[in-house]
Formats: sequence, structure tokens, C-alpha cells
Amino acid sequence: MTVAAVAMGSAVATAMLGVMLDIGDRVNRELRSLGANLMVTPKGRSLPVEIGGISYRPVSREDFIPESQVPKIKSTFWQLNITGFAPSLKAATTVAGQNVPIEGVWFDRRLRGPDGMPLQTGLRALNATWKIDGRWIDDRDRNDADFECMVGGALARKLGVHPGGIVQLFGQPFTVAGIISTGGEEEDRIFVRLEVLQRLTQRPGEVDSVQVGALTKPEDDFARKDPAHMTPAEYDRWYCTPYISSIAHQIEEALPMAIAKPIWRVADNEGKVLGRIRGLMLLISIAALASAGLTVWSVMATTVLERRGEIAIMQATGASNWLVAALFSTEVALEGAAGGLIGSWTGLLLAAWVGRSVFHTSLEIPAMLGPVVVGAAMIASIAGAAQPLRRSLSLEPAIALRGGA
Amino acid sequence: MFWNFVLRAVQFRKRRLLLAFGALAVAATLATALFSVYSDIERKMRVEFRGYGANIVIAPAAGARTVPLAAVAAAEQRGAIAAPFVYTVGRMESEPVVVAGVDFRRAGPLTDYWHVDGARTASTGECLLGSTVATHFHTHLGDKAELENAPCVVRGIVSTGGAEDAQIILPFVTAAQLAGVQDAASVVQVRADGARLQAVQSALAKALPTTDVRLLHAVAETEANVVLKIRSTLFLLTVLILAITTLCVTSNFSALVLERSQEIGILKAIGAAEKKIAALFLSESLILGVASAITGYAFGLLVAWWIGRTIFPESAAAGVGVNYSVFLPVTGVTLAVAAAATLAAAARIWRIKPAAILRGE
Repeated sequence: MTVAAVAMGSAVATAMLGVMLDIGDRVNRELRSLGANLMVTPKGRSLPVEIGGISYRPVSREDFIPESQVPKIKSTFWQLNITGFAPSLKAATTVAGQNVPIEGVWFDRRLRGPDGMPLQTGLRALNATWKIDGRWIDDRDRNDADFECMVGGALARKLGVHPGGIVQLFGQPFTVAGIISTGGEEEDRIFVRLEVLQRLTQRPGEVDSVQVGALTKPEDDFARKDPAHMTPAEYDRWYCTPYISSIAHQIEEALPMAIAKPIWRVADNEGKVLGRIRGLMLLISIAALASAGLTVWSVMATTVLERRGEIAIMQATGASNWLVAALFSTEVALEGAAGGLIGSWTGLLLAAWVGRSVFHTSLEIPAMLGPVVVGAAMIASIAGAAQPLRRSLSLEPAIALRGGA
Repeated sequence: MFWNFVLRAVQFRKRRLLLAFGALAVAATLATALFSVYSDIERKMRVEFRGYGANIVIAPAAGARTVPLAAVAAAEQRGAIAAPFVYTVGRMESEPVVVAGVDFRRAGPLTDYWHVDGARTASTGECLLGSTVATHFHTHLGDKAELENAPCVVRGIVSTGGAEDAQIILPFVTAAQLAGVQDAASVVQVRADGARLQAVQSALAKALPTTDVRLLHAVAETEANVVLKIRSTLFLLTVLILAITTLCVTSNFSALVLERSQEIGILKAIGAAEKKIAALFLSESLILGVASAITGYAFGLLVAWWIGRTIFPESAAAGVGVNYSVFLPVTGVTLAVAAAATLAAAARIWRIKPAAILRGE
């Protein structure tokens, strides 16, 4: 029964910690569905003059990012944190007498990264919440003779087109693969394959901007310091932390012709929401851990109290105080370890169950958690037993056996 | 006589009862704190998501170029935050540049995410510059921006990573004059309460037939998703923690009865009815239960208050995450646990044979 109680306490602790340690990552991935949090644009001298995607002045020709350089974004220090990126080329054309912005993009492009690793990325990976009526354009492989397009929902209503219909763009008939509903600016645009737009606008290999989605660490006071005024040690720490600003900095290093800016609407709030959730879970964990510790402690104290008689008999038959103490401590520690083992195992299962039922993936729980919990269970057990044990030992055996205080 | 028995029992076994009381009080504390946090978490998380700005956009319908300003009032009537924005192309130092008109008073809550160096608002004759514009024209805070027809003093430099970086931001009225529109805006951004989003959107669509009322799916769905997931995680953890603590407390209370088998034997031997003995134990447990529930409730509220204040300082003003109404359920559950545990163990009272138990079997 003692072991069971310790096991229950440890199970609470393990489940709580397991969930707490990974929930930030899970929610971070959820928040990525808001779209890109970094925008990479050419380091141009000209000022973009654009309202609702329609440019009121042609972007000068020298301002572009070479498409061949775009995969380098995946070669930065924080490449594993970059969940997706999508280059785009902007143009405008007249459809049914209206000036319509048109964007050449990667939808779901398969390419070889700079390290030779295959990767697949594009708009689709970045924007999980986009609703598509019809289907996504399949552009895993380059094909600049594939005249397919995806039309924004608001524009599609204006033009009266449906999936499978035909739109004339640049004098070419394009098949409408799907209608995109987002509620945002994308609703007034037409999306085509990047290489098709490059050919039609005679801008081969050129890209106007790249959207990047990255998993970041919420900004803290340290992240807001100006890297130019940091000491070398601070700079290293900043560089090796996935702050949005340091990821942007590294993208600029990889693409010297570009500047990378955090999209604060996404990046800032991501940090705030994540910070709150992490903090909340941490405090709840502390509360749960404290109670688990108390439970174990009280059970152990009870066990010792109940066995006062035994202690008195041992003392009466000549056992020295430290022998009795050692005997009991070992027993309690063993019970603590056994309970801790069973409990941490159950706790891991429970944490995995929470992860599966809420986030539909198993949580990544550090391997150290189990041993740490077992250790903590043992310490709590011994701590709980210590005080009543000392009290019992200090009592005259005769009095204890008579049942006195 | 009966109460004398109960009180004496409490008095004689102070230490042992204190432990049982402690265990139950801890459970009640956890229950109060977790229920408090859980019942309030949705509202709190939604407050956090306000920073993302608008979740509904009212754009001109097909054929129209502007949205009537009546849309703002229509949205505000439905309890949403709404602000008009107008865009036009102006000229500065003979270069074209995008001019944005913002109703700073209304747009404040929708533009929380703007990183601004200087002031966040501008009055007549003043403006904010997007960071790209400021760099391009080498303009600094306090300089005069030579915008044609509306020169202004730069009060702030805005950087958002979005379209605003390449805009000159003027008060709405000034920009509307430049754009030549009256009682109309290019777009109206609306932030409705996440829980009533669909209702507000369809009501607005009905009230403003000449516009295109769009839901920003990315913001709305991410908010809904995250809030739901946090809520369910918290719910599962709450259930889990309470289930385990309850089990622990149950065993503790059962032990209170079991370890007194000898006394029960004596009571039976001198002719006490089983029911009376069970009632004795039950009232002892219930006294403990009430005491633990009250203590736990007080501590639990304290913990909930602490969590609320530490994690969500902004919404702290509006009630610090303390939910007083959890008292009844918490007390109910605490008493039920104490009673159930005692009764389960009390079943043994009927089976105890005084002679056998007193002989030490």
C-alpha cells in the first residue's frame, strides 16, 4: 500500500512534467499554421509601391533574389527550426478588364537542399489553414509548360470561375486547379507555378520575396538587445538561440543580396502566447509536484508512525538507534524506488496518452525524466520518514510499547 | 455520548488524523486551483490572441472600390473592435509612395503588434513612417516628411515586417482627403470575440450586402485550435491528477478504520451496534472532510490567484482567475471521497468477530 501511494505520486509528477516539457513545442507547431513569420526581400534601393498586391510602379530590374540561392535558407545554423519557405515572384495582368495581381510560387516543390538532403516545401507547407476548393497544383517537379493556376476566393467570385474552368492570363489559357479561401489578401490574387511566371514575364531565375516559417524561442529582454552592441560571449549566445532576430540574421548571412524581416504580427504574438502557455504549465506542474511530494511524504510518515511498536521492540532487544534508523531508511528508500519506478512508467504512459488524445502525436519526453522522478520519489520518502523516525527513536521503549505518546 | 466518542477519538490520535487531514486538504487545494484555472483558461487565452489583430476583414464587394464607413458602426454595435483603413498612392520627393490612413483611436487594439520607435499615433499635420520608407528617404523622428499636399512631422517609425513598412501612415481624415473618398474606407478591419466569430461574421455580411465580409481563417482557426488544445490538455491533466490524489486519499482514510480493528472489537464486545460504530467513523471522516475542504478551498484560491497574477498580468484587473463558485463542487467531492473511503472500509465492521480480533488474529 505504501508502494502504491508512492507510485501514484510519481505518476502525477511524471505525467505533468512530461506534458509540460513538450507542450511548448506542440503549441509552437500549431501556431505555425498562421503562416510565415519571416519575410525575405531583396536589399533593393527602390521603394515598393504596392496596394493589395497591385504594384503602382514596376520593381526595378536589379532588385531580385536568385531562385537558385533560395534553398540556402535551409543551410543556416537553425535549419531544423525552419519548417518551410516559399519564394514568390509578383506580376500583374489584366483579366476581364481588371488589373489582377498574380504570383508565381512554389506550391509543394521537391528539391535537393544545399547539403544534398531532399526536401519538400512551398506555400502548402506554410499555410495549413488555407481552404482549397478543388486541389493544390502539384509542382513537385519543374515544368514551365504547365498552365494551371489557383485563384483567390474573392477574385473567383468576381470572375465567376470554378475549379476546372479556364482563365486567360498573358494571352494563355490557364486551367483553374483550385480556389483558395483565406480571408486575407491572397483572396484577390492568382497563383501560378513560379517557373511559368518567370518565363511569361521574362525574368528567368528571379524571385521577389521568400516567406519563411520558423520555430522560434519567444523574445525576451536579451533578444531585444542590439547585436551590434553585444560582447562576444553575448553575441555567441544570441547567435545560438533560435530567436526570430538571430534566425533572420543567419538568413541574411546565407543570402547576402537579401534582407530578412520578422513579420511581427505573427512572430511577436507567437512568443507571447507560447510564453503564457509555458508559464501556466510550469506553475501547474509546481503545484502538482508539491502535492505529489506531500503525498509521498505523508504516506511514509504514516508508515513509520504505525510501526512505533516494532521500533520499540527492536530498541528493547538491544538494537542501537543508528541500526534501527538504517534499517528503516533502507526499507523506505526501497519502497520509494519501487513506487517511483512503477509511477514513472505509468506517468509516461499517461503523458503519452494526453499527447495522443490532444495533439495526435506522441510527445517527445526526455529520457532523463524517469530516473529523475525515481530519485525524487526516494528522497521524498526518506524525508517523510525521517522526522517520525527520529521521534520514535527518542522515545523510551517502555512508554512506546504501552501505547503512550 | 456519541459526540464525546468522536471528539475524544480526534483528540487522542491527533498526529495520525493530521496526516489524513493533510492529504485530503492537499487534494482539495489541487481541485480548487485546477478547476479555477480550467474554468477561466479559455477567456484568458482568447485575450492573448487579441494581439494578432483583426480576424474579420470587410473589403469592397465586386465592382466597388470602397467600403462605406457605416461598416465600422455596424461592427461596433455587435461588440467588436473595428477600424477603417484607407490606401492611396501619394508622391514624396517626386517618388510615388503608398499613403495609408489609419483611425488611430479605433485601430489601437488592432495594431498592438506594430513595433514603433516614437509615438504610436499621429494627429493632423503629423504622420508615422514605415521603416523602409524612413530608410529610403533618410528621414528621422521629428523630421518633416515632404509628402505632396500633406507635408507632416514624423512622430514615429513603424516596423511590422508587412505592408506597413513601405507606407506613410497619416490620420484617417487627412489620407481620405488625399485619396478623394468620402465616408468610405479601402478596408475595415474587425476583431470580434473568438467565441462569437461566426455569428458576428454572418450578421455583418447580412447587414452590409454591398461589401465582402471575410473571415481571416488563419487567425480564427489557429486561435480556436490552440485554445481547444490547451483546454483539453488542462482538462485531462486535471482529471488525471484528481483521480490519482483521490486514490491516495481513499487508501489513507480506509487505513483510519482498519488500524482500529481492536477498538471496534471492544465496542462490539460491550454491545455497540454495527451501525452506531460505522456512524462514529463516518462522522469522524466527515469532520475531517469539511475541515480539509475549507482549508483546501482557501489555499486553492490562493494558488489560482497566484497563477493568474504571474502568468496573465494583463487580464489580472478583470478578476484574477479566481473562481469562487468551485466551492460547492470541491466540498462535495471532498466529502464524497472521505465518506466513500470510510464506508468501504466500514464494511469490515460487520465482519469483525470481537473474540477473534481481541485475541490478536
